[in-house]
Amino acid sequence: MKAKLVCSVIGALCLSLVTGYSAQAAQREAQAGGTAKVTGLNPRGTPPPIPLHAMAPRLESLDGKTVYFVDDGFQGGDLLLQEMIGWFNRNMPNVKTVFRKKAGGFDGPDPALYAEIKEQGDAMIMATGH
Amino acid sequence: MVEAQLGKPAVPIITTAFESLARTNAFKRGMPHQRFTFVPHPVWGKSPQQLRADIEGNDPVSGEPMMQQIVASLTRPLNAEESKTGAIEQSAGPAAFPADAEDKLQQYYHDNGMTDYLPIVIPTEERVAAMLKGTSHKPDEVVGKMAAGSYEPWSFTVKQVAINAVMAGAKPEYFPVILAIAETGSASIFSSTNSFVKMVVINGPIRDQIGLNYSVGAQGPFAPANSTIGRAWTLLSKNLANGGVVGETYLGSLGNYGNWVNIVVPENEEASPYDSFHVQKGFKNSDSTVSTFTGWGIVSGQGTAIAGLSTPKFDHFKAVLGTLGPTFSGTVVMDPLVANLLKDEGYDTMAKLLDALKTRPSEPAQRMPRPQDINIIVSGGSTNPYWQYGGMRYERTASVDKWR
Repeated sequence: MKAKLVCSVIGALCLSLVTGYSAQAAQREAQAGGTAKVTGLNPRGTPPPIPLHAMAPRLESLDGKTVYFVDDGFQGGDLLLQEMIGWFNRNMPNVKTVFRKKAGGFDGPDPALYAEIKEQGDAMIMATGH
Repeated sequence: MVEAQLGKPAVPIITTAFESLARTNAFKRGMPHQRFTFVPHPVWGKSPQQLRADIEGNDPVSGEPMMQQIVASLTRPLNAEESKTGAIEQSAGPAAFPADAEDKLQQYYHDNGMTDYLPIVIPTEERVAAMLKGTSHKPDEVVGKMAAGSYEPWSFTVKQVAINAVMAGAKPEYFPVILAIAETGSASIFSSTNSFVKMVVINGPIRDQIGLNYSVGAQGPFAPANSTIGRAWTLLSKNLANGGVVGETYLGSLGNYGNWVNIVVPENEEASPYDSFHVQKGFKNSDSTVSTFTGWGIVSGQGTAIAGLSTPKFDHFKAVLGTLGPTFSGTVVMDPLVANLLKDEGYDTMAKLLDALKTRPSEPAQRMPRPQDINIIVSGGSTNPYWQYGGMRYERTASVDKWR
């Protein structure tokens, strides 16, 4: 009987120690933000829909066609395009090549040049995207 | 897209370092299947012989012979995807993320590119509601649009700005300043290989009302308003404009430490002998404003007191501005001691001072920024007569009062 009582007291003590420890740990964890769940809002803005542009119809062949080589002004692009023109002259001499430097910087429009290509050109190669 | 404008087949030639950017750009401009040809990076600096070897080789991305691929890109018939028209709907995700512990949410925001990778304040509904008390405007009011370079601008509301302001650690009383910065539509991080930085000059009574530091250490981390307003601008630029996506919307080769909190310069109007910057732009002294600038940055510790026009120090001042060239203008941030020394030398109005800066004896006039492109801001705590400068171009001024 006496032994049973001692065991019960020790058991109760152990239980309270264990549960006490758990509660304190849980409290500390909650205070540290470890267990409390929160909902965070999305900070992103609203992107617009993107209108799709159809690509231009392709040519059946480049034979006898005029290809514009357009330098957008980034360093070295003119030299690269001249080498490409040289390749066409050596390998596809029936292609007429026209070199132009675009006005308006590498990302600005050049309406006069675009009008010329629209009227006189069949295709365009532009360099360089850097 | 130029191809769509021309109605003629086109092939853009891109260097390999910019493949991702080119494809993203094509997508965002409505031609996701644009036929590119890639050349080895860089083109800049190569000899004609090296370039010829490059073009006679293969496209390093597709592995196909480069010139034959260009010919095929201009002649191969379009497939169904390439012929599509209509629109692509975009989404920036749900209004809120699933509930989680704060530390895990911190990681979620970092992992998804929504932060500057420093700890943020999690923008809960309660914290955002408290921020919204800093303005009389409704949460769903559209503030404006912002683009991270030459991309499609994203739009945003008062609430979306508030969410970012909370993340930056700002107080509700700072919110009208942050809204005004947002309204300018100026993204502080944007696509360029140049590693640019932005600057905001803050004027008017708002400076004292929210405790902005314009005295000792004005540009440093010595006041919560300066720090968190600057940080908020970075978060706005990343989240409201999709800026700072490395390889896609950010290409700054070296990067810029200023992009963390930007350059925040509240003007020391009280100690300046000149009209405040916003007054020079047509506002009243009683107005509160933000003025944004873009460029290379501000170089610190460049000079000490500047005396009269004929002295070597004034000539040095002009010479430094002459090194900036006309592209990005010249912006000077000077201590009130410098401004008052200049006033005592006879430059008692900003117009007189700018006129004296037009040219310097040893340089042709075209090397100098035009007088109207030189900006002089007076800020700092008069611990000594220093001035700083940089190639920073003025963008625009917006009212803070509108957003109270």
